Amino acid sequence: MYGGLVSFSGVNTVGNFLNILFNSLQTGSTYALAALAIVLIFRTSKTTNFAQGSIGTLNAYVAALVLSSWGWSIWAVAIVSMVTAFLTGVLIDTFIIRPAAKVNKIAKQIITLGLIMIITGISPYLFGVDPYQLPRFIPQGGMEILGSSLKYNTIFIVLISLFFMGAIFWFIQKTKWGLAIRVTASNEVTSKLMGVPTKTVTMMSWATAAMLGTLAAIIVAPAGSVNPNMMFNVQVSAFFAGVFGGFQTFYGPVLAAFIIAFARNTTVFYLTDIWGDVLVYMIILVFLFFKPYGIFGKPPVKKV
Amino acid sequence: MSHDDYVLKLDNVTMRFGGLTAVNGLSFSIKPREIVGLIGPNGAGKTTVFNCVTQFYDTYEGTISFKVDDAITNLKDRKVTEVIDLGIARTFQNIELVPDLSILDNIMIGAHNTFKTGIVQHIFRTPKARAEEKAVREKAIEALKFMHIDHLKDQFAGGQPYGVQKKIEIARTLMSDPKLIILDEPAAGLNDSETDELETLIYRIRDEYDASVLLIEHDMGFVMGICDRVCAINFGQFLAMDTPKNIQNHPDVQEAYLGKED
Amino acid sequence: MTDSNFKEKSVALWNRFAKTVKTHPHAQFFIFGLVMVMLGYFSSVGVFPSFYLSVFAYIIIYTLVALGLNLLLGFSGLISLASSSFIGVGALGTGVFLNLGLPFELAAALAIVSAAGIGALIGLLSSKISGIYLAISTLFIAEILRQIFTSVDIFGGERLDIGTVKLLGFIELSRNSRAERFYLYAIMAIVLALMMMVVYNIIKSRSGRAFMGISRSENSAAAMGISPLKYRVMAFTVATFFAAVAGVLYALYFQDAPTRQWGLLQSLTIIAIVVVGGFKSIYGMFFGAVIIHGMSELFLKDWLGNVSSVFSGILLIVVILFYPQGIAHVWIDLKKLYYKLKTRKKKDVINDES
Repeated sequence: MYGGLVSFSGVNTVGNFLNILFNSLQTGSTYALAALAIVLIFRTSKTTNFAQGSIGTLNAYVAALVLSSWGWSIWAVAIVSMVTAFLTGVLIDTFIIRPAAKVNKIAKQIITLGLIMIITGISPYLFGVDPYQLPRFIPQGGMEILGSSLKYNTIFIVLISLFFMGAIFWFIQKTKWGLAIRVTASNEVTSKLMGVPTKTVTMMSWATAAMLGTLAAIIVAPAGSVNPNMMFNVQVSAFFAGVFGGFQTFYGPVLAAFIIAFARNTTVFYLTDIWGDVLVYMIILVFLFFKPYGIFGKPPVKKV
Repeated sequence: MSHDDYVLKLDNVTMRFGGLTAVNGLSFSIKPREIVGLIGPNGAGKTTVFNCVTQFYDTYEGTISFKVDDAITNLKDRKVTEVIDLGIARTFQNIELVPDLSILDNIMIGAHNTFKTGIVQHIFRTPKARAEEKAVREKAIEALKFMHIDHLKDQFAGGQPYGVQKKIEIARTLMSDPKLIILDEPAAGLNDSETDELETLIYRIRDEYDASVLLIEHDMGFVMGICDRVCAINFGQFLAMDTPKNIQNHPDVQEAYLGKED
Repeated sequence: MTDSNFKEKSVALWNRFAKTVKTHPHAQFFIFGLVMVMLGYFSSVGVFPSFYLSVFAYIIIYTLVALGLNLLLGFSGLISLASSSFIGVGALGTGVFLNLGLPFELAAALAIVSAAGIGALIGLLSSKISGIYLAISTLFIAEILRQIFTSVDIFGGERLDIGTVKLLGFIELSRNSRAERFYLYAIMAIVLALMMMVVYNIIKSRSGRAFMGISRSENSAAAMGISPLKYRVMAFTVATFFAAVAGVLYALYFQDAPTRQWGLLQSLTIIAIVVVGGFKSIYGMFFGAVIIHGMSELFLKDWLGNVSSVFSGILLIVVILFYPQGIAHVWIDLKKLYYKLKTRKKKDVINDES
């Protein structure tokens, strides 16, 4: 988790804290991107997209392939993968999710499992079995702040993530299409009756979610190699963030993502290495018992 | 039967939802073997009253008492799952049957709490468990015969005509040998002949099961025809309770339904 | 006895037998168990390739977990994303207690009880938490278990070696000979048949009706005296119980308990088996396991190598799009069609004769 990102010094408490903070901002960004994608699809398509991580990985593979075959820069391939991600989302919604609209909820989630199987199976044939590497956006350099080390890459990652998510929030709140998304998210049947183009809304949601997932994957990839399992941790954390922040809002899971990243890093560093995660998860479970709809969630109204 | 005898008594019951007062200081009682109708315009709070009686809402003010064989229970002391054991069974406005179960199985759910054997005995199919299942099954067939739908017993409950589904719901209430049956709009959606059949069935239930019936209904002809007494409410408040004839001529009731004469 | 007498008696006996089987589902499960044992026998004597035995063993394990999950998902309308983790509890738990010197049966029982205990806790969680929040809560539990399995020393790091098992104190079965592996498998098949009977008994009892009642409408179920919390706890406990038994069978047959195998992907696969097999269907779970696991392992891998994963995925999506009720219901629809044709034929005959 820490490899190559920040450096620690044993006695420097402020520095350590800041290192944890910066690290949390970076991992939190990846969780937040993935969480936003999950909640976007969950609310507009009424599906839990288990294939979120796989879709991101697939397009990260594309980026890596282009980079290694044609030598383009990481910036160029990132943009390429955003385009392919957009297309991936559109294709998945059109050919798989839309036809499954009438299927029951559980079955719909399982369709995304089928997607995972297809993507995992097809990757070796599209990309070969040799490992790929994706470089960082900003390969080196950073600054010293109060005994902590803050890499330029980290700053860039946090900024680009916040910018991307901010753009989406602005879009959802301020534009006509954003209104369409919000309306579809709260009640698809009524939206259809009112003439909201729900088909386009779900298509755009899948496309956006794919792009969010791909950006997260490109951020995560440099830490190791591009491999089919690299997004598992982010994926699971995204679900946790969704539930902890509450699926009723779009901003809830994003905030919860950063909180979770920070909590995990803190407990792992200050308390215990192995049990830090377990501790955070247990605390969240207890929290959910008392606030079963997340931090920002509201219970639905019951009518008998 | 003394004049004060009752099977159900509401005493100054008030139910609030946040700022909205759905039921306001309502008091009335039902005698044993009496058929009482609860009427009022839409939104008057009738279903809320039902939900308070069955303890689905248990944060109401006031007292609801249930009396059977001289034993009086303050219903608030009981949980919603215990109400049926006391002898109160109900149907719902939106029919809540299990579509993937047979009609017979749906009815047998009504006798859920009458079982003495537990899941372990069911897993091992002990003689006691099998005997109990058989007994409940036979009782269910009797209940279906009572409602004239025993020939449908093995069909799925989902996909049945509306009138049949209503009968299934009522048959289900009979399984617990209730002393008070609460029917939420039993005649809704029924045609004339089905409504006549329903009237006969309710009389028979009162006589053969020795039960009182409390019903909500909008079909005024039905209500006035079948009920011994009618309780009229509006905005959660008591308007009047009397024989159907007197209720029809009651000025407050007329005003609530028809508006004041200018 | 004359020849025709003998023939008559055999036919009569066969008819009685067939009638018993037709009207007694327990007899059907018994025969199913026999068939499964026979399939294993064919693998061990070479009629099928010998690696088939392991595939059949896996199918049995998956069917068993799916049976438990079906009670949760198909009957009670609740989701668990931790099914695989509880197989792990069964397998690793058995290993841990064996390492403490306990006899196999006791080790297995303790592992199963531990799993059921955690299941009951999840059921208690469900008193407040519902829907997607409950589903992800089970994912929390799965992640916590995964962390425990891989980090705590008593689980041996990568795996716990179980080795030769000693049943009933004196029957020793290892994986060394074909015969022994077949006996281990046969035990699994028998356990599966028994558990199918258990599920059937639960479904046909008031508990089964109660599960379906709370799934359809908690309010009306409560009005009939069914406590939704009690039955949710029961559903989760039974589901984890079944998964743990599957884990014990894993430990029994493979004589090995890995720590890193019990993850989200496998839990999702088990949900897929329940969906594809058909909610509320017992044999459906077997068909689901065969389709999802068996087909890719037995056939597709041969022809397609690693692309088998692609085809499993496509198969899954196709089945859900076209048979969202599951394979078992396709079977029911076929039966209905058959009866419809039969009665139409009868009607035609009657019309012709009138």
